Amino acid sequence: MERNPIRRQLAIMRQSLFDQGHVDEQFVQLEELQDDANPNFVEEVVTLYYRDSARIILNIEQALERKPFDFRKLDAYMHQFKGSSSSIGAKKVKAESTLFRECCKSGNGEGCMRSFQQLKKEYATLRKKLGAYFQ
Amino acid sequence: MAPTLPSGDQASDQDNWDNGRLARKRQLLTEIVLRNRLTALVVDGDTTCRVLEQLLLRSYGVQTQGVDNGRDAVALIASGVKFNLIIIDMILPVLNGLEATRQIRDMGVHCKMLGVTACSGESERQAFLAAGVDVFIEKPLDPEHLVPILRELDGQ
Repeated sequence: MERNPIRRQLAIMRQSLFDQGHVDEQFVQLEELQDDANPNFVEEVVTLYYRDSARIILNIEQALERKPFDFRKLDAYMHQFKGSSSSIGAKKVKAESTLFRECCKSGNGEGCMRSFQQLKKEYATLRKKLGAYFQ
Repeated sequence: MAPTLPSGDQASDQDNWDNGRLARKRQLLTEIVLRNRLTALVVDGDTTCRVLEQLLLRSYGVQTQGVDNGRDAVALIASGVKFNLIIIDMILPVLNGLEATRQIRDMGVHCKMLGVTACSGESERQAFLAAGVDVFIEKPLDPEHLVPILRELDGQ
């Protein structure tokens, strides 16, 4: 039967999101909010997240181009980004957001730059994996 | 921990037992049928967070309203609208969550306030509690934290 291999493949993709640490328990909470009335709920929320967070990423990029760094502003941006990332269960992105905020609190500009580069990688990787999963 | 797939085509008895026990524990923590109509205000500057928190509350039958900054939250409360529950973030546009919380409490509002924020430090926790929230929750807001509070508000 054709359906079984497709469902099996979907289940494997979903499990790998957890096993590779890209998403956490909060992603399960999103899935539990999905029902017949909102069959694409998770995809819609993730789309909303990537739409809104793109603006925050841009704000942080622009703030990191201005010297000296305004660590308070950077921290405020990342606070918002961390919150929305945690709300969709983006585990690695959330972890990197925490590191960035610690660098802000200690006034470590180089650390902020490094952390932000890593965060963007995790953010892009998650987007790619979730995009493939929803397709 | 996320539910796991059985390896191969057959789950071990231990896997089935562990998954079943976890599912029952989650059921106890997350299921609730409200006897009363509860209302909640969600104050969060981030659209994703605000939408998800409102949807989570609505999934339990709570009627919700959302605002995206502290000033509008204070104005709404000052206009006389009453809520059983206010969920508020710490860092907000226009008027921050700490100050908004203080102003809401200064109006004599005694409803349950949850500070739900991405901040995780002890100093931030103490500051938010000192401002007037009853409970400090690190984001994301989850049923394990929310349901006992809804039960309490519902008088269960």
